[in-house]
Amino acid sequence: MKTKNDYLNAFGVSLEQMQALVGEGLRSGGHWCDLFFEDTSYSELMLRDGEVSAGGSHIDYGCGIRVLCGEKTGYAYSESTSYPALLAAARSASSISVAAKSLTINQKSPYAFRQNPEGITPHSPDNKALERHFYPMREDWREADAARFVPVLRKLESRIRAKDSSVHKVIAMLSAQVSDIMMYNSLGELTTDTRPVGSISVTVIFVRGDRTEMNNASRSFRAGVEMISDALLEELATNVTVGMDERFEARRPKGGKMPVVMAAGASGILLHEAMGHAFEADFNRKGQSIFADKMGKKVASKGINILDDATIPGNRGSLNIDDEGVPGQKTYMVQDGILTSYLHDRISAAYYNVDPTGNGRRESFRYNPIPRMRCTYMESGNDGSVEDLIAGVKKGIFVDQFSNGEVKIGEGDFTFYVKSGRLIENGRLTMPVKDINIVGNGPKALADIVAVASDLKIDDSTWTCGKEQSALVSCGIPSVLVNKLTVGGD
Amino acid sequence: MLEKEEKQLTRDCLAMALEAGAAKARASLSKNTMNIVATLDGEVDKVTSCLDRSISLNLFVDGRYGTFSSNKLDRESLRTFIGKAVGTTRMLAADTCRDLPDPARTAKDASKGNELGICDSAWSSVTPDQRIAFALENSASSVKPGRSCSSVSLPPHTRPAQKTSQEEHVLPVAAKGWKLISEEGEYSDSQYYNYVVDTQGLEVLHSETSFEFFTELTIQDSKGHKYSGGWWEAAPLLKDFHPEKVAPAALQEAVMQIGPQSCPSGKYRAVIDSEVSQKVLNPILNALNAFNIQQKNSFLTETLGKQVFPAGLDIMDMPRIPGEACGKMFDSEGVATSDHYIVKDGVVKEYFVNTYMSNKLGIAPTIEDATRPYIPVFWKNGIRRSDGAAAIPAKADRQCLMEACGDGILITDFCGGNSNPATGDFSYAIQGYRFKDGKILHPVREMLITGNIVTLWSGLLAAGDDARRCRAKLTPTLAFDNVDFSG
Repeated sequence: MKTKNDYLNAFGVSLEQMQALVGEGLRSGGHWCDLFFEDTSYSELMLRDGEVSAGGSHIDYGCGIRVLCGEKTGYAYSESTSYPALLAAARSASSISVAAKSLTINQKSPYAFRQNPEGITPHSPDNKALERHFYPMREDWREADAARFVPVLRKLESRIRAKDSSVHKVIAMLSAQVSDIMMYNSLGELTTDTRPVGSISVTVIFVRGDRTEMNNASRSFRAGVEMISDALLEELATNVTVGMDERFEARRPKGGKMPVVMAAGASGILLHEAMGHAFEADFNRKGQSIFADKMGKKVASKGINILDDATIPGNRGSLNIDDEGVPGQKTYMVQDGILTSYLHDRISAAYYNVDPTGNGRRESFRYNPIPRMRCTYMESGNDGSVEDLIAGVKKGIFVDQFSNGEVKIGEGDFTFYVKSGRLIENGRLTMPVKDINIVGNGPKALADIVAVASDLKIDDSTWTCGKEQSALVSCGIPSVLVNKLTVGGD
Repeated sequence: MLEKEEKQLTRDCLAMALEAGAAKARASLSKNTMNIVATLDGEVDKVTSCLDRSISLNLFVDGRYGTFSSNKLDRESLRTFIGKAVGTTRMLAADTCRDLPDPARTAKDASKGNELGICDSAWSSVTPDQRIAFALENSASSVKPGRSCSSVSLPPHTRPAQKTSQEEHVLPVAAKGWKLISEEGEYSDSQYYNYVVDTQGLEVLHSETSFEFFTELTIQDSKGHKYSGGWWEAAPLLKDFHPEKVAPAALQEAVMQIGPQSCPSGKYRAVIDSEVSQKVLNPILNALNAFNIQQKNSFLTETLGKQVFPAGLDIMDMPRIPGEACGKMFDSEGVATSDHYIVKDGVVKEYFVNTYMSNKLGIAPTIEDATRPYIPVFWKNGIRRSDGAAAIPAKADRQCLMEACGDGILITDFCGGNSNPATGDFSYAIQGYRFKDGKILHPVREMLITGNIVTLWSGLLAAGDDARRCRAKLTPTLAFDNVDFSG
């Protein structure tokens, strides 16, 4: 396991130099300065037309320096970690202090993480208390040859072809990324993390007669090479081929407003898009979110709990520490139907005078951190099984796969494309449906959830959130019944 | 500025690749310098300065192919990286279709980098103080949050190319005491270089500057409902940059959405604003890509030379218009771009075929993708202007197309949805307005359009002349007949 000194040596800086850089950042009057060092290695292999004949690797290395002056941000980065280059970046970032020179802040300890819900204080001398291990990497991707993974993709293709004779083309990709991260801030906190993520995704074209359909499936984990297993390949092969008979039969249904039952798992993306973004504190701090004046108020039915969680072992959205050095944690946004917390970075936490929740995230050293989700899900309810939910619907729609979601934060309006689902008629699943959208309003849909099954499932697909910067996330939900949503059809 | 040393380092990467055992190689250096000043409610919120440099490598080793990149650009790090990259490539399966392009097809007229005249020397003279001044002066927030929107001055020239009715500008802000909740603005300028060399003697350079300003506003009506609106302007040359248009346009976008009403499902004429009309062009361009055709994931398979779209419709690629954003003299392989037809008189004239797909499919190579697609004015026979004439109007903007359509729904934004690449079936949620007799009645709520891309385009009534020049795709306002709306 790497020590702090290993990280310092890898980035070629000393503690004293980082202290000097922070001093330079604050020289013009800033209130906070932090440094974010990153060394990311990314590799990919692709199978196409039956051969693993494309692949490559990529390196991204550098350091971002941020200076805060009140809620204002100065940001600069360098792709070199030589001291002169970092000094120039620190001076550039400090320019915010000049641009925002009239600002004052009214807190004694702004931006600081004081105590997390488990009672851990961050200021122990060796920072041991902050150490978390949600994604131990037993075998490092950076030390594994590409040759080792060529048979993996070939095996995946043969498994897929064995399951469905109408498979025409298979495109399979294995990608792996490992980032060494080191952070230092003006409180003198030095934090480090090594973040792996491995992903396998597959797209399959099926041809039956003169008709063509496409399906895809993926799995992604914060883990090392050990994540690859026969069971994982079998799961992917099954997921990408299952339900294709229905897909070929599927038609676009008649549209209108109707009850919608959302299946457990991937439907959680609706929770992420339609509600989760509106819980991010920057949108609320600026007054843009539809939840900006709803703290402490009822936003969902009693019994509904919604949370954002960085602590699920191996989960794509998990974080030992966020990108501001705050420990990864589990944050309830809605408890028993009441809005209890936003998702905070250090800026918004200072604004609301609460602790940061470990949601300060950035795409890379090129970006300043902003509040982002991690793994967002709803806890299981007590309304039975998905079959019980379907049985209670006279005429509606059951959806098991969504994609292409979009939300307008201020209005709360969302749209999701339905990849697969079925009509519900008199409590039974009937005609398969496709090529439709579901349209609604986030807070209204949240309030219209009238039943929650007891089958919470976290979906481990390759979810990536695109709010200003890309961030790895995941989502989950138990099966839920929404009383009324607009379904677009013929 | 791209330094001599940076060019030399890129060329040296080719030598390192050959030394490590590659048979052929291409190296591409990208260098981008950017400055950003963001504002929140009329105050500076964030100042960012960036310099990015990285070298990408395409390696051809023993009949195998790999792609690699690094931003660690010291010579020794690169040598180690390239040595490993060659080793990794050797582990892949052979693919004899991979090759560098025929040198005869590569650009010979792109050595200076500014052949299109889109790299402005004025960029280097913009000072940090001027950037802050740009951002603050063009902020909408001379109006503070919480103040009444009725005090906002909304200039009537907000979108001169698209709105001709004075009423349309005055109506939304004339009353009601709506509140401006927040305003975010972002000024940025950048200078970008792309230098590409290969082991067959290719050496091309592209340079481009950009000046951009974006504003997003959130307002609240008297019932507490929030609405957001955004606008963006950009230009490669400072003299063509007009950030003063942005905040008024964003505000207008927001206030126009107040008071949405449901609209019955049914077939309507659809007018799609030039700001978003590329949404219905993109599926066509994707379907013409040889990769999708080879994978049988295209609804335009086996359509080359066939009449698929309405007679009279042209879709062109115009990558070499001097002085305009997003133009380029070469694609990522270094192949020379050209101004040409993609669709002519409704007939498909071109698939996008790079060297790899050419060898794979056994067809002639073209260009890897459309660089700057352009749709010229189209006016279906029988469609009459508001003055009753059937001829193409002198100015074919959004208002003109609404008047020609009479009744219908104006689409100003798409909010999620999907197009099936294999079938062309689509379903998109939209934001827009019901119009009658060419005049906007009200915003529509929770509506979608569904259909098939080829069927949609077969109902094309008109294509205007109001494409936004700052966009990569020059798609004007489009009008279609018999579009399925549901809500």
